[in-house]
Amino acid sequence: MILPNLYNLREQLAEERILLCFNGPISRSLIEEIGVALKKYLQAEPLTPASASDVFAVYIELTQNIRHYSENTKLVGSDVATVIVSQNLEGHYAVSAGNLLYHNDGEVLVKHINDLASLDKIALKKLYKEQLRKPRDVTATTGAGLGIIDMARKASKPLKAELKSVSQDISFYSVSVQL
Amino acid sequence: MNLMLNATQSTPAISADWDSGVLSMSGDSYPENAFEMYADVIKWVEDFLSNKESPLSLELSLLYLNTSSIKSVMDVFDLIEDAFQNGREVSVRWYYEESNERVSELAEEFKEDCSFPFHILEK
Repeated sequence: MILPNLYNLREQLAEERILLCFNGPISRSLIEEIGVALKKYLQAEPLTPASASDVFAVYIELTQNIRHYSENTKLVGSDVATVIVSQNLEGHYAVSAGNLLYHNDGEVLVKHINDLASLDKIALKKLYKEQLRKPRDVTATTGAGLGIIDMARKASKPLKAELKSVSQDISFYSVSVQL
Repeated sequence: MNLMLNATQSTPAISADWDSGVLSMSGDSYPENAFEMYADVIKWVEDFLSNKESPLSLELSLLYLNTSSIKSVMDVFDLIEDAFQNGREVSVRWYYEESNERVSELAEEFKEDCSFPFHILEK
């Protein structure tokens, strides 16, 4: 039997100031249970209710996006979510999430996120309202309509996203939202 | 016909009273499939507005809404707005606690898109 290298894992988590991490197939109930744990943790921190609410909101949007994508595409392994909540040296919280997706879908998402980066809060609000008014696209696989704009509005810095190719048409997509 | 849904971790308590014309929703709303849950609410509002002539009031103490819930609540407000434009007496009262300004900000953003009486009230 091999003893897992817990010390290295612990050191890495500490070094990257990771407060909460999850890696595995994510279900509706797991999202909720981890969400409750996150909420309790944030309540104990010296945070305003508004900031705690923003961290929770971003966690829910990111994880539910992964669930929707996985349900819609049925891509094997896309339900395995890697989710991290961390805090930087200035005290800002960040929520990051990653999953496997079709490379083409990933490119659309990354482009969308990069396009939002140049917009200020007023322009983001305008776009948010436009998206809110659009009829639902039942064929959309990414569900990346309102959620991403909402997160960009809550974020203190532009969202960061990237793709890492893992096979010919599958990539690992990661996105990070700093509050 | 009344509507009654108990709150869960991720869904609000919902009650709609046919006789008094009061629809109440309170709590968090972040179900994975918000559209399914709000379909019942939308159906009730549509039925009420088309079968009754009495006023409709919404009493809301909603807290955090995920974006699919926001979209669904906007659909409810759109129905109410249409009825208001056709001369129906309708109103929304959204209650919030001072400690979390995100709730009142959310309510304010909905209000921007509505012309019917929309009151945002501190508890």
